[in-house]
Amino acid sequence: MRLRRYFIGALLAGLWMAPLRAEAQTGTIRGRVTSDLGGTALSGVTVTFGAKSAQTQPDGQYVLTGVAPGTDTLRARLIGYSPATRVVTARAGQTVDADIVLTARAVSLSEIVVTGYGEQRAGNITGAVTQVSSADFNTGRIISPEELIRSKVPGVQVVDNNEPGGGFSLRIRGATSINASSEPLFVIDGVPLGTGAGGGLSAGRNPLNFLNPDDIADITVLRDASAAAIYGANAANGVVLIQTKSGRAGTQFEYTGSMSSSSVTRLPSMLNAAQFRAAVQQYAPTKVAQLQDANTDWFKQVDRTAFGQEHNLAVSGASGSSHWRLSGGFLDQDGIIKGTTTQRISLGFNLQQHLLKDRLDVSASLRGSRAKDLFTPGGVLSNAAQFGPTQPVLDPTRPTGYYDWPGQGGDFKDLQSADNPVALLNLATDRGTTYRSIGSVQGTYRAPFLEGLRATGNFAYDITRTDRQSFYPSTLHGQLKSGNGGSDYRANQSQSNTTAEGYLNYATPLRAVPGSIDVTGGYSYGWSHAEYPYYSANGLSTNLLGGNGVTSARSVVNFQDIEESRLISVFGRVNYNLNDKYLLAASLRHDGSSRFGPEQQWGNFPSASIGWRISQESFLKGMTAISDLKLRASWAKTGNQAFGNYQQFSSYLLGNDQAQSQFGNVFVPTIRPNAVDPGIKWEETRSYDVGVDFSLFNNALSGALDLYKKNTDDLIFTVPVAAGTNLSNFVTTNIGSMQNRGIELSLSARLLQERRGGLSWTADFTASHNRNELTSINPFASAAATKILTGGIAGGVGTTIQVLQPGFAINSFYVYHHKLGTDGKPVYSTNLLDMYVDQPTLLDTTGCPAGPTCVGQFRPDGVINGNDRVPFHDPAPKWMFSHSSYLGYHSFDLSFTLRSYLGNYVYNNVASNLGTYSEVTRGSPYNLHSSVLTTGFVTPQYFSDYYVEKASFLRMDNVTLAYTFKYRNNPVRIFGTVQNAFTITGYSGVDPTAGLNGIDNNIYPRARTITTGLNLRF
Amino acid sequence: MKAGICRSLAAAASLLSLGALACTELTVEPKSTVTEANIFSDANSYRSFIAKVYTGLAVGGQQGGDGQTDIQGIDGGFSQYVRLLWEHEELPTDEAIIAWGDPGLPDLNTMNWGATNNFVAAMYYRIYFQVGMANEFLRQSTDEKLASRGQTALKPTIATYRAEARFLRALSYWHGIDLFGDIPLVTDADQLGSTPPQQATRADIYNFIVSELTAIQGELPAPGASTYGRATGPAAAMLLAKLYLNAAVYTGTANYPAALTAAQSVIAGPYSLDASYRHNFQADNNTSPEIIFAVPEDGLKTQTYGSTNFLIHASCGTDMNSGDYGVDGCWYGLRLKPEAYNQYTAGDLRASFFVTTTGHGPAINSIGTFEDGVKAPKYTNKTSAGATGQNPGFVDTDYPMFRLADAYLIYAEAAVRTNTNLGQALTYVNALRQRAFGNTSHNITSGGLTVDFLLDERGRELLWEGHRRTDLIRYGKFTGASYLWAWKGNIKAGTATDAHLNLYPIPSNELVANPNLRQNPGY
Repeated sequence: MRLRRYFIGALLAGLWMAPLRAEAQTGTIRGRVTSDLGGTALSGVTVTFGAKSAQTQPDGQYVLTGVAPGTDTLRARLIGYSPATRVVTARAGQTVDADIVLTARAVSLSEIVVTGYGEQRAGNITGAVTQVSSADFNTGRIISPEELIRSKVPGVQVVDNNEPGGGFSLRIRGATSINASSEPLFVIDGVPLGTGAGGGLSAGRNPLNFLNPDDIADITVLRDASAAAIYGANAANGVVLIQTKSGRAGTQFEYTGSMSSSSVTRLPSMLNAAQFRAAVQQYAPTKVAQLQDANTDWFKQVDRTAFGQEHNLAVSGASGSSHWRLSGGFLDQDGIIKGTTTQRISLGFNLQQHLLKDRLDVSASLRGSRAKDLFTPGGVLSNAAQFGPTQPVLDPTRPTGYYDWPGQGGDFKDLQSADNPVALLNLATDRGTTYRSIGSVQGTYRAPFLEGLRATGNFAYDITRTDRQSFYPSTLHGQLKSGNGGSDYRANQSQSNTTAEGYLNYATPLRAVPGSIDVTGGYSYGWSHAEYPYYSANGLSTNLLGGNGVTSARSVVNFQDIEESRLISVFGRVNYNLNDKYLLAASLRHDGSSRFGPEQQWGNFPSASIGWRISQESFLKGMTAISDLKLRASWAKTGNQAFGNYQQFSSYLLGNDQAQSQFGNVFVPTIRPNAVDPGIKWEETRSYDVGVDFSLFNNALSGALDLYKKNTDDLIFTVPVAAGTNLSNFVTTNIGSMQNRGIELSLSARLLQERRGGLSWTADFTASHNRNELTSINPFASAAATKILTGGIAGGVGTTIQVLQPGFAINSFYVYHHKLGTDGKPVYSTNLLDMYVDQPTLLDTTGCPAGPTCVGQFRPDGVINGNDRVPFHDPAPKWMFSHSSYLGYHSFDLSFTLRSYLGNYVYNNVASNLGTYSEVTRGSPYNLHSSVLTTGFVTPQYFSDYYVEKASFLRMDNVTLAYTFKYRNNPVRIFGTVQNAFTITGYSGVDPTAGLNGIDNNIYPRARTITTGLNLRF
Repeated sequence: MKAGICRSLAAAASLLSLGALACTELTVEPKSTVTEANIFSDANSYRSFIAKVYTGLAVGGQQGGDGQTDIQGIDGGFSQYVRLLWEHEELPTDEAIIAWGDPGLPDLNTMNWGATNNFVAAMYYRIYFQVGMANEFLRQSTDEKLASRGQTALKPTIATYRAEARFLRALSYWHGIDLFGDIPLVTDADQLGSTPPQQATRADIYNFIVSELTAIQGELPAPGASTYGRATGPAAAMLLAKLYLNAAVYTGTANYPAALTAAQSVIAGPYSLDASYRHNFQADNNTSPEIIFAVPEDGLKTQTYGSTNFLIHASCGTDMNSGDYGVDGCWYGLRLKPEAYNQYTAGDLRASFFVTTTGHGPAINSIGTFEDGVKAPKYTNKTSAGATGQNPGFVDTDYPMFRLADAYLIYAEAAVRTNTNLGQALTYVNALRQRAFGNTSHNITSGGLTVDFLLDERGRELLWEGHRRTDLIRYGKFTGASYLWAWKGNIKAGTATDAHLNLYPIPSNELVANPNLRQNPGY
């Protein structure tokens, strides 16, 4: 009833306004702006007619209202295209249609690119910078912003953990650190998120999930250090600048909605019930009595076809001197393993206001989100692999209703039997809620007294509050086994970062000498405060309340930790430009960080770069094939301080009640001084880059080629310290260095250009190669003796599979070379010498080098032990290739992204841990990985190179088909996307992109997701 | 125009002044972290600190169950001091074998270790962790430090603590030279975070330990129920006796008379043999009158996955009910090597609790098969009255590092080797024999009191108490071909091993960190 009244009211208002408009004697011009390349719609084109101007929407549509009648020139301008004009006559009270086609110029070199504390024309940039705009983003079910640019930027490895919205890692030109972070700095709308980008809070999945990808206009990656160096101490791993969408002229509503369905692609290959029974009969005959007659596929019990939906609504508009955009989004996505869900509600508001006769631009950005994450309880995947397929899921006689191995003595407490993963899934809970809000106000004032002088102030906050809780009832097998007696955990963590920045910018042509300069100088202050309280209870007296309350518990731990840090910086940059031909840039940042002691607090991070646009030289003017050609070279020093606070303080750790010392009949609590290096300081990376940007054949082919080298020194490392000189065997200190070297190529080609009604095709290609080498971890020791074991795996306790050894890539696998039999299978023998290659490790001054097996002065020592393990491949891809195609045909468009890695290796930990018959001899037998049928291993061979598998692959990450039509003159786009359409790989495990460290230990399986949806604008 | 300039200047100035204001202070003091600056304002901190030097032997870290581990690079339970010491002293010998395949551990069963063995490295670092804690305690408790903190009233108490810290440092240095030979000598005189130390000789450190123990013996607490778990004067004498007994190994010059004197001084103390041999290894063994120095464990207050908790859980498996040993489960690990089992004769109560799995004998056909070999659940979480300890997950049983029976056997061996006091020696040995068999039927005669008999008797009496490797080395039987046992040299029948295995290698990580060190020969 009420609704109807509003409707009638609105209708009356509309009727009343209509004649008013006519009386104003103005007209309307509207139309669509497209590119001459494939006829693709161009957004962000400024269209002016007389005093009125508007910008085109993503579909290329624009509307100019309130146009004074008369004939005038309609102008359309967009960076990277030649301006176009068209004479149009506007008539009072009428709407005129005027479409415009823009001709592309040197696209990549004329665009405006956002850089740190400013923006520049791409053609004048002297560093390696890649901007990806929303039109080129990956599509489909995208939950985290990082995924938008996967395979779009050369040299950037985007790694996720396969969970929906799960944690992402970005590696720009390889890792530069081992113990500090190797993640880039994220800057959102000019606000640096600071170290960890909101990470460290354990409630949610990816800390960047608060940012709705639908709100992002473009993402710029500062790949080389000269571009990033203006961010100094946080820039060693590169910088990612994210710009959110802002309002455009003409009130517009935009809705995008989609539904998705995901299914499992690959799972670990375990024995089936018959194979398992046979293995138990042969290798653990005493356990056969424990077997039952079920035929359970445990992975089938815990995976599912997962559904998801997403709805985004945005309203944007402009009035007079202000632009605004308001957006809201809802996302709900299930994971392909039961129990995994992520749900997000996000709001965003952007406002730009021009004041003081356009001298002062004020902009505000405010975003907030709530993410609710449900996690599959820990152990579901590993137990699904381990649980015997002969056993049933349910057992009504147990208090939980689920079957569990009776174990030794029938008390269900056997330490050596797997937990029923279905019981774990259904009885335990693990969930997190994250509220995050980020807001900024930025003001830029153009001085009236000195043309080219601008002052900018930027104030921002970033607040996160989280709640993570997990509950494991006391009846669960795992709780019986560990003696925990049920556990309840809750953490309410919060973090706030505040940033204040101010900078002055002055751009002017020089008078005394030719050329022009652009000078920026500023100051930045960042403060971070975080609180990490948690409580955990073990030995719950009842399970009745679930995770909602604890009546009493055997042991309760309450913990509180407050951490604070400060970063203060002064920075400056000078760009010199001579006739757009010779370009020079230099910057310096002076950073102070509270993470270091008084002696080491301040660091200087300079950069210098030069560019030469050869195409502007007269001797190339005649070469029409070359549209643009630029050579660049740069050098920079950047820092990394992304590690824990208070490392320089010598701290004492108080022992808990269960670690006391008995003095007679009294128990005394303990304190322990921790190892410390009070002189800890920044990690520093010196980077060199030479590159060429080119555009050929009237821009039909453009691209860039870069060669780079990054030397990182003073690596913050937790290293073995000489025994007795400190308070533990490892100390976190600056020791060691590493190098990354590589080459990057990106190409963009307009292969087919649209002729009326024809086909258009644009293709992008990137290739990058990176070589990482640890050059030193201790300047005092010989390289041969220097190694640190790392990379923990499942199997044994504290077993590691990787090594940090100078001369090799970081985290190289550290294994024995397995001998192969005549059948090509790895030899199995109880005598290790028959099985593994005995490396020459024994110094032999007399027999060598005459002996046939000698290498240098070393010969095999006749024993297989730790000395025979050698570094063997590493997880990082040596080559990354990507290809994106954008095809258009009439109202259809098709795009896809292909990705390929070469030279990446994965350690198949599921196979190494469970691919051995000894696993059936446990208290209750574990199921076996099917590799045991090939290898016949009876005892585990964790360190065999057999498990280090080549994981090169070709993957269709993404393919989208869309159809656009008009409904009542409003564009409607319907689309369907398949993500992870196919993967071609020789890797036998679950996923060749098994995380950054290349250890496939019951990783979350990768989903194939099909998304269908529509986009409306009105 | 003019107004515009003013406005702009004001804006610029305000930006700059904001900068200047915030620029002044960069240091952020920790709020939730206890630092050296505030911890010692609490007088109790000294007691808590010396308590840590003790729990360094008992728990792997600052949390029960070995969380917040003291040393990095290995699981906290795996790296617990007593567990590592036990594994290094027992697994390579004729006494024990472990079924587990954790990388590095099987190498101990078969003398197959190299410089990268993570268990060997952990043992080395555990020793130096103890040394580091003791040194730092001594640095933080000097008279000057006490005076500067206004804690001079604590001086008498702290003097005792300082002697205890020096005892614990000497104990670990003894383990250090026994296992690794030439190692660096770092004391509280060295500054924290200093340059890598030089390698000292085994003899240098031997002399250092002797002088330290001699100096502090009178300052240590007196034995008694109120000082149980702490280092007492007799504990220092016992450590001296062990050192002197092995002086030939450590310095090249034997010193058996001194061993005899030191053992005599221990025996003169307030200790007596417990009527029950087994009581020394039960959950209430803190009431045994025989234990001179124990590493106490407690089901509620001192929890570890190492020490006796490891020994009890790992000795249990197939057919054995964990409840019978007062624990919550079996770990299927430790058994006897057949040679140790064969040392016992029928009626020896010290072997009365052994368990043999049906269908399996004393032979170890497969190291990884727990059922092979005789199980020796010597340690138990049941009290002498048969009650289960306080917590089946973490035992109450203390690890008896030194007990009177060992002092008797040291006395006897020193007596035989010096051919003095043989009558007294025979009395002591027969006291043990009599307890072992419940009567005098198995007493030996003076003719039977030989060094070889004593090695075997040490094997029987002190089985699985962490002395075996040292004993075999003293007798020249650990490596080489003179005595072979199952899986010695990684052959089931046993084979000769190279003499370099008498010392464990300096860990490869340590060679990286300290370029002054020279690897032991043969590695």
